Amino acid sequence: MAQTKLTKKNRLRELLVTLLPIAALLILFGVLCMVVSSRGYRLDMYLRIIFNEGVVLAVVATGAIFIYSLGSFDISLGASTLFSATIGVLVYNSTQSLPLMILTIFGVAVGCSLLSSVLASVFHIPVFVTTVAMMSVLSAVAAQIITTKGGALGGIGIPAAVVEPLDNLPFKLAVLAVFAVLCVFVFNFTKIGRRLKFLGSNPVCAKLSGIKVNVYAIIAFVMAGLGVGLGAFLTLVYTPSVTPTTAGSIGMNILVAIVFGGMPISGGSRSRIYAAIVGGFSYILLNNILKIVIDSGAGYGISQIVSAVFFLAVVYVTSMNYRTKLLPR
Amino acid sequence: MNRKITKLLALILTLSLVACLFAGCSKKSAAEEIKIGVLVADVSGEEALAFRSYYENYIAKNYSNVTFVYTEQLTDAAAEKSAIEKFAAQGCQAVISFSSSDRAIQLDTCIKNKLYYAVGSGMLDDAQFETYKTSEYFVGQIGPSMDTEYEAGYAMGKYFADKGVKSVAIYGAFIPNPMHVYRAAGVLAGLGMTYGGASEKDAIVGQIFGDQGIDTSKVGTSGVQLTGYFQGFGDTTFDELFGILGQNPEAFLSVGMATTFFTDALNGANIEFSDIDSFTSANGKAMSEGKLVYLAGKYSSSIGPIFAAIMNAVNGHPVRDAEGNALSISQNYLVATDADSFAKYSTADQGDTPIFNKELLDTVIGDSISYDSFVSLVTADRS
Repeated sequence: MAQTKLTKKNRLRELLVTLLPIAALLILFGVLCMVVSSRGYRLDMYLRIIFNEGVVLAVVATGAIFIYSLGSFDISLGASTLFSATIGVLVYNSTQSLPLMILTIFGVAVGCSLLSSVLASVFHIPVFVTTVAMMSVLSAVAAQIITTKGGALGGIGIPAAVVEPLDNLPFKLAVLAVFAVLCVFVFNFTKIGRRLKFLGSNPVCAKLSGIKVNVYAIIAFVMAGLGVGLGAFLTLVYTPSVTPTTAGSIGMNILVAIVFGGMPISGGSRSRIYAAIVGGFSYILLNNILKIVIDSGAGYGISQIVSAVFFLAVVYVTSMNYRTKLLPR
Repeated sequence: MNRKITKLLALILTLSLVACLFAGCSKKSAAEEIKIGVLVADVSGEEALAFRSYYENYIAKNYSNVTFVYTEQLTDAAAEKSAIEKFAAQGCQAVISFSSSDRAIQLDTCIKNKLYYAVGSGMLDDAQFETYKTSEYFVGQIGPSMDTEYEAGYAMGKYFADKGVKSVAIYGAFIPNPMHVYRAAGVLAGLGMTYGGASEKDAIVGQIFGDQGIDTSKVGTSGVQLTGYFQGFGDTTFDELFGILGQNPEAFLSVGMATTFFTDALNGANIEFSDIDSFTSANGKAMSEGKLVYLAGKYSSSIGPIFAAIMNAVNGHPVRDAEGNALSISQNYLVATDADSFAKYSTADQGDTPIFNKELLDTVIGDSISYDSFVSLVTADRS
């Protein structure tokens, strides 16, 4: 009897923690609507802006879930996005071919991701270390290309007319949906996802069970590379130019988004694809709410401090479920 | 379990209350209000704060129907585009830009959202200006052009060359930032140096862009020796600085930010230095009590004329040249070489008595203002 009661409580708690990120997203959405309307701003425009701000983060973070599920951490995703977009711009300007530009962006993004994972696998360096190195190298090379080719403009770009027809809500929504469905399928309905979660939950057990860590790490990085490629392409669709600072904040924002989405940073069995999308948009909504309600004259950085407090609160709440268990991993 | 759920609910309710509190603090905007969005990339520099103070504490006070809406720090083109779209959503009629990640995208976004656009400081690239100069939403640009940046660097270099200095060190600030590239090219030319065998502006500038800095092995000297060069700011910057100061250059020439980063070190090393920056209090102290001997600077109210141009456009009387093009006027720096000249410019441009005061601005705000009157206002000698 007592055992059943305990199980019920645990289920309720798990359900609560699972639903909390979605509830938070809805609450934030409601607060944004309220705040925007109370100020007399145009809500339709704000919603479109927020979608545009969130879609790149959501796409890249969705791919990154595969890496995070392993308990790994890739800080170079922003730099990869910048580098892929930069090479894509160069290819377009040389060939005037949009399909070739898209293919190049994906090729470069997946290539960068693979290089990180292969370096980590072959030389047995922690993934975090290789991604830090990749971040520095990719940022520096991209900056060199951009400033050399861009000259006084400080950036390089493709003609806006090339991607303008794609800069609309239905296209971006479709891209996000297709990629999310692909990731959900691979993560939840194939052995790849199960093994990645197993590796993240207990790498020793997973290895003893015959799972090849390197193979699955490479698959995870390829999926993250696809996300980076899509993110780089969507970045160019929104602003058809790249500067050395393009996508500079994505690397850290992914981490925040995933935590906001309710997924533990340690990865494992509680990894969820939807965490990236829910968390990404929650984070963007929160930022925008804070920017509206906090007068910028009140002091720069206040919204970041409030975001950090929210971040800590979310980590506390999402960790409620597994902190008390005997074997959290 | 129950206690935890209670805690959780309390947390959610608290956050909701805080959000509602902030939402309740909103102000209703007046219908006749002129709202101008300001794009900023620098939010904490003394120059940026002085610009902001001029708009918010002088202009907004003297033009009571004008409100300025500032962005937070903008780091890339996507952030700039998003900020402009938010200005449109907030009911702004115009945008003044102090951010330059991608001005073409800024302009396209303003045109799409029917917002008047002006470059607050600096200028568009020539090709960009050609593209947008006839757009009804492009009000114009008033600020140092790249040629002016080169000339400012040239004058600074020449000042030391004429002074008979035999050895110098150069700080390249944030090259490949175009503004710093042009200034650095001017400094080399002003000192009588060649770069990669070239002495012409465009050739030097092109090579510095290609090298992403000044390659000291490519510097050809006649009279003045270059003892050291460095750029950027990071963990090793002061090691580089002290290494260069160890070679005892007679002067330290900076194309920007040196007064922010190195004033104490340069005063301590007893080396005369120069910079292209602003007439800030810190620079005044460096000039009166330290070793700052040359400053080419902007002053806070130098952004007044572009505000006047925006007002005319919003009021339906945009100022255009004879061909119907947007304003494009290069604004020079003021140069101080001693505490007296510094004091003259800085005290003349403070608080309620800026150089571009309401009386002066009102001479170019109206329904029949000519392009030439704007040129006269901006290019008049303010020294």
